[in-house]
Amino acid sequence: MINHEDQLKLQAYLDGELSEAEASEVANGLAQNQEAAALLAELRHTQGALAGFEEHIKLPESREFYWSKIQRQINAAQPAVDKGGTAGLFLLRFRRLLVPLTGVALVAVAALITLREFGPESVAVETSLADSGAMVYHDYSAGATFVWLSYPADNEMADNDDLDTFD
Amino acid sequence: MSKSDYSSAEDKALVRAAQQGDMEAFEELVARHRDKIYARAYSMMRNEEEATDLSQEAWVKGWQRLSQFQGDSSFGTWMTRIVINLCLDQLRKQKRHRTESMEELSEESGGVERQMPAVVVNPTAGLERAELRQRIDRALGQLSYEHRTVLVLHEFEELEYKEIAKVMECSIGTVMSRLFYARRKMAALLTDLKKENSK
Repeated sequence: MINHEDQLKLQAYLDGELSEAEASEVANGLAQNQEAAALLAELRHTQGALAGFEEHIKLPESREFYWSKIQRQINAAQPAVDKGGTAGLFLLRFRRLLVPLTGVALVAVAALITLREFGPESVAVETSLADSGAMVYHDYSAGATFVWLSYPADNEMADNDDLDTFD
Repeated sequence: MSKSDYSSAEDKALVRAAQQGDMEAFEELVARHRDKIYARAYSMMRNEEEATDLSQEAWVKGWQRLSQFQGDSSFGTWMTRIVINLCLDQLRKQKRHRTESMEELSEESGGVERQMPAVVVNPTAGLERAELRQRIDRALGQLSYEHRTVLVLHEFEELEYKEIAKVMECSIGTVMSRLFYARRKMAALLTDLKKENSK
């Protein structure tokens, strides 16, 4: 009795799934093993019987009838893209563009804020009043003016070595 | 393209036209390959109505995915793979609804046919082609879907073991076992059918 492993090897030999060395080993073994040779013959008969079997199977419907159902299904599926039609297509494209558009919008908003805050027109103009140690900021966009007065005045500070004392 | 142009055009030209949205070109492709696609579905499903529905579904999918067809294989082969996948999905769904019987579990491992002595006389010798087809048809109907599918993919689709394993999501060893069992069972069934007829 041939073991299952050898049975499968025999089948693989028939199907051309063995390496050259394995195939010649099986071929040599067949000469001495009648059981294996009989099994191989049976597998061959079955294979031969099945050859060309599907060729006789014909569609039991006329070309027109068969096609009409396919066409109906294609048309029924298409409106999903067509009916939503241009609108559907637009939405689809818009969705694809949504992420990059959002990115661009964020960058634009950030740039606008930066310009408003630090742009040339709204940048606080810094003016130094000579010898007073005072700094003036004008924020034109906010319509505000800030004045910093240092005490003692910067020029006085420069002359004072003892800043740690309050007396 | 005129009507006569469609019928004389090669598949490649029809596919190109269909890819541009020409539905008449696609209809011509359907007309050319419908029998083959239906036959494959029928071999797998063993039911005319299901085979017709699934083959039509395959054509609808084919139309929807035409842009993906690169021409690496023939159009017929490409369509056949679509219908095979649809049939496999359907068979898997059906199997989920069925309880696995002891007989099926035994079939998976090879059953009694594994130990059966070889059929020494060709059971199909001397048969008329039509009678042979009828017997094969009946015998195929008696196989479980796993064994029939492996047989169909190997004998009709001419796939290698590893390709079948990929399609059926199982190991090569399982493919070999199932194929062996299916062939042996076919041989036994054809012999029985021959005996029945000669009574």
